[in-house]
Amino acid sequence: MRSINSILALFSREFLITYRNFADILSIFLFFLLGIMIFVFSIGPNSEIFNQIGIGIIWTLILFSNNLTLRKFYQDDFNDGSIILFHMSGLSYEIIVLIKLIAIWLFFQIPFFIIIPIATILLNIEIFNIKIIFLSFLIGSPILTSIASISGSMNLLNNKNFAIGSLIVMILSIPIIIFNVGMINASEEVIKAQLSILLGILFFFLAITPWISAACIKLALQNK
Amino acid sequence: MLLANNISFKRNTKIILDNINLTLSPRKIIHVTGNNGSGKTTLLKILTCILEPSVGQVFWNGKKIKKDPFNFYKDVTLIMDKQTSNLTLTVKENILFWKKLFSSSINMKEIDSILDLLSLREYNNTLTSNLSYGEIKKLELSRLVIEQKKLWVLDEPYLGLDNHSTNLINQTLINHIKSDGMVIFSSHFSPNVPNLEILHLENYA
Amino acid sequence: MKFLINPNRFNKFSDLILKPFIFISIFLLILGLFFAFYLSPNDYQQGSTVRIMYIHVPSAWLALLTFLIMTIYSIVGLTFKIPFSFIITSAIAPIGATFTVICLITGSLWGKPMWGTWWVWDARLTSVAILFFVYLIVIFLKNSFTNILLGEKITAIFVIVGSINLPIIKFSVDWWNTLHQPASISKLSASSIDPSMLRPLIIMTVAFTFIGLVIAILRIKAEILDRKIDK
Repeated sequence: MRSINSILALFSREFLITYRNFADILSIFLFFLLGIMIFVFSIGPNSEIFNQIGIGIIWTLILFSNNLTLRKFYQDDFNDGSIILFHMSGLSYEIIVLIKLIAIWLFFQIPFFIIIPIATILLNIEIFNIKIIFLSFLIGSPILTSIASISGSMNLLNNKNFAIGSLIVMILSIPIIIFNVGMINASEEVIKAQLSILLGILFFFLAITPWISAACIKLALQNK
Repeated sequence: MLLANNISFKRNTKIILDNINLTLSPRKIIHVTGNNGSGKTTLLKILTCILEPSVGQVFWNGKKIKKDPFNFYKDVTLIMDKQTSNLTLTVKENILFWKKLFSSSINMKEIDSILDLLSLREYNNTLTSNLSYGEIKKLELSRLVIEQKKLWVLDEPYLGLDNHSTNLINQTLINHIKSDGMVIFSSHFSPNVPNLEILHLENYA
Repeated sequence: MKFLINPNRFNKFSDLILKPFIFISIFLLILGLFFAFYLSPNDYQQGSTVRIMYIHVPSAWLALLTFLIMTIYSIVGLTFKIPFSFIITSAIAPIGATFTVICLITGSLWGKPMWGTWWVWDARLTSVAILFFVYLIVIFLKNSFTNILLGEKITAIFVIVGSINLPIIKFSVDWWNTLHQPASISKLSASSIDPSMLRPLIIMTVAFTFIGLVIAILRIKAEILDRKIDK
């Protein structure tokens, strides 16, 4: 079928391009690790403090690293007209958004599954249950990617205010931070409750993000 | 057949297009002319349903393109003055991407012969970022043949092309017309193509 | 009702009601302040510092009400393609932001004698602080596009996204609060307020509403004129 071919073509293009710019991906993870280091420098290597606030620091830095991915979503393809090309091959903008979401999540969030344990080692945090951290990250990271997609699509024609994309991401990410950090070292029922809330937020964002991002892209195209 | 009816376009109270009508039937080429800012690019975007006109409708084979744009897109190739080839991919990768994206039935032999014609074959495995502006432009125009669509909409296709490539493009257009295709393009340059219909756009103060 | 969506009708209608609204708001403000600072009793626990509540709470309600109006207009504007809605949204955004600031500052002034600190991270103050940031983002976002009409539409989308997220954020902040258990600034569930305290509260709220409406009308009229000059 034509659409499946187009979707696969788009995926392989995304992978190829991102893979060629591997340094870009690595830089974002270096940003995260440098951030951890800066926290250590500013607070001091006292491990007791980090036991208490370590997970919070890690999640905060994940959120800040998410800011760096904003331009990757649609800006380049919008500027060189590729996004029109994708649309004319039969893919609706919503599908294009979804493909981008998946591709960027795979490349820019999945490696955190390795980086987070490294960070917990660096900060000497006692982790009783690494599975909970991974589970919460598994649910929280697509939400972060969706928020970045919304912000990225809103700022396509924004050439005056470069920081506001990050502001939008940060404001919308507040619930995710609260629930994700709260899940660590909490009791069982609380964990279950928070996981279901997070799942709810995830499904909500997965539902609205393609629609909102596509609407913003169409608005930007209409006003280029 | 492409039909545009009473197309007007206003951006922020500035009139760009006013009451444009055109008919493009098979075996015809329309050359859109006009000064800078007269709305040539805007008109081409409206004709391909990328932009919505303030007033007016565009019909493809009797149906409004707005109603079912994807059906319309099956028959259109749009080439703007932008380069949609990604600079981090090689020439071959870009072409293979277009081939797969549009589920084109063109085979590798035909692709190779096109690249030969465009003198791009030697760059098959070069990153597009290493090509010159004109070579990237030629790569972009190869999409016309890869996508194999009936209606060709081109915005400033001759920009940056040398004489040899310009003649090549002209020949490609003529061949396309001969096989029942149709072309509408905008350019400041008047190409040496017979039976051109000219549509001139005015600037509105 | 057409004045709500039609600029010309709005101009005519607002010319009629502007002067009366100004008088009403001044009258209600004086009345409310009189009730708040003279006629209402001291609180059993907090003494006379509770009187700041008569400014703090109405401004909180109005900050929320303004955002609600912005959301409704954004939805209407995007769905029915009414450009006037976006003018209203951008006109009242700074008003809502101001109410938020008043709420935060009065909350801070209230907190100092009560708990010894200028700021406390209780559920309401935190939520209002977040609301303040949302207002600022709305104002900045609208101005970061060279094409004003595009900026308005993108801002409208953000207002809608923000308005759906605000309950989520409020809920998560409440939850975060119960987890960390700081001092709570509110004693404001309606059932526990004595009627003698409720009366000035309502008068002040209505007064603030009218003040907000007056400023909104002036801003909207100015914005309409601005667009006419651009044409």
